[in-house]
Amino acid sequence: MTQPPARTLSALGLYRRMAGASIVAQLRYPGTFAIQAIGNFVTTLLGFFGIWSLFRRFGSIAGWDIGTVAVLYGLVNVAFAVAETLGRGFEVFGGEYVRTGSFDRLLLRPRSTLLLLLGHELRLRPIGRFLQGAFVLIAGLWLAPHVQWSAVLVLPLAIAGGAAMFLGVLIGQAALCFITVEGLEVVNVLTYGGVEAGQYPLTMFGRWLRRFITFVLPLAAVCYYPALFSLNHPDPLGVPTWIGALSPLAGFAFLGVMVLIWHRAVAGYVSSGS
Amino acid sequence: MTLRPYLTAFGLQWKIGLRYRIAVIAGLVAQMWFGAVTLMAYASVYHAAPDVQAPLSLRQAMTYTWIQQSLFTLLPLGCLPAIGDAAKTGAIVYDLLRPVDMWNWWLSATLARLLGNAVPRAILLACVAGPLAMLVGLGAWSLAPPADMAAAALSLLSITLGALLSATIVMWWNILTARTLSPLGSYAVGTPLAVLLSGMLLPLPLYPDWIRPFLLAQPFAGITDIPIRIYLGTPIPGGAVTGLGLQLFWLATLTLLGRLWMRQTVNRLEVQGA
Repeated sequence: MTQPPARTLSALGLYRRMAGASIVAQLRYPGTFAIQAIGNFVTTLLGFFGIWSLFRRFGSIAGWDIGTVAVLYGLVNVAFAVAETLGRGFEVFGGEYVRTGSFDRLLLRPRSTLLLLLGHELRLRPIGRFLQGAFVLIAGLWLAPHVQWSAVLVLPLAIAGGAAMFLGVLIGQAALCFITVEGLEVVNVLTYGGVEAGQYPLTMFGRWLRRFITFVLPLAAVCYYPALFSLNHPDPLGVPTWIGALSPLAGFAFLGVMVLIWHRAVAGYVSSGS
Repeated sequence: MTLRPYLTAFGLQWKIGLRYRIAVIAGLVAQMWFGAVTLMAYASVYHAAPDVQAPLSLRQAMTYTWIQQSLFTLLPLGCLPAIGDAAKTGAIVYDLLRPVDMWNWWLSATLARLLGNAVPRAILLACVAGPLAMLVGLGAWSLAPPADMAAAALSLLSITLGALLSATIVMWWNILTARTLSPLGSYAVGTPLAVLLSGMLLPLPLYPDWIRPFLLAQPFAGITDIPIRIYLGTPIPGGAVTGLGLQLFWLATLTLLGRLWMRQTVNRLEVQGA
């Protein structure tokens, strides 16, 4: 007679163990980790140096003060760093799971595939981007003239919504790998390109791009509008400011849609064999 | 001295670069996106501050951005992937045993890899950003033609030197890789340096005035910044001769020092594996 397992881990407990193992593995090579984290910090900080130089030369970016732009820049970078930390399994999904056929093994386990892929790696390297984003964000709040107290609530919500949105992009990218097998770098347009677009005020862009990053990818909802709300800055396009307190929820909605697509895609999965 | 082995090394890497057609298309989409975001940002910055005397006009800044985007894969972002693999597996000994000059052998492979990646992308993006953009009525956003015939001829010469210079800098990353036995360090150091110092992040003429002479004099400016300045006809102190002279100076200096460093590294190289 087979014994039922004495104890199964809850989803959270299981994730904690996988994440712990991943962290221990990354810290095995402390020198490599330090170089990569510092490289990440410097690379992303240089990005802000470019924007700062534009300010030095032109006085403002199209009428926006440096505090506002720093808040936008910090928000989008912190949110993306969180998504990058959690979603590494989806980023490498095509090459490491679909092409090799090792996704079959995940399907045999009695756990959600999403949970197992989240546990693929809790990546520590984006801590460089996270720290410098947080640093620029705080500097921006310090420089901006009309910071609202409600920013204490709205900015964390915006970061969570933004992280959910970028995680949604990574999950969508992984779902696409069922068709393309190898990962497609075009999706980088939505991740790294999203970070690039999110750090400028929405009004700088042409109409097609504004619509795309508002309604297709809710980038403006998790970054631009919450920043306006927190800084009590009226929107030049006339959208009421209070929208920014609620709009980060669109990031979670986007993640929800991508999870639905993921389940659809898994249901139609045909192994490449091994 | 026979040239054939070096030509073979060149031909092999050139073909590898040309094989990934989908990657070329994916790269084109990504470069168009980053180009569009950057251009819209510059356009609104310039329009908001009409009386600021910038060293580049808006049209020149846009052309600068397009050329820079199209030559992204020409930048020395890290070591040659084949050498990174060879360093990790220990296959680097085979290179040591070949009866060829190792600097030239690696340099021809590196140059071919850079050109094989960059040339198709550059031609494609130049067609899209130049004539095609004109045809669909985006003339104001398109790639401007060169300043005059002399500028066109000199910039062609200059970009050839730029490609050689970039390959020489990659040689330094290759030696670093052979020394540390891992390609990661070269990417961690190379990517931020190349992106900032070549003018990819922000055109070098737009940085604050006090830092501009230093930016022009450092070796990375010779890869794309000097050729683009000659193409645009923007003044370089001392004219195009200074630009070409700087390129030749860095080419000679980095080759001499690099060869010394390589000899020293090879003499005490410890190889992994059996």
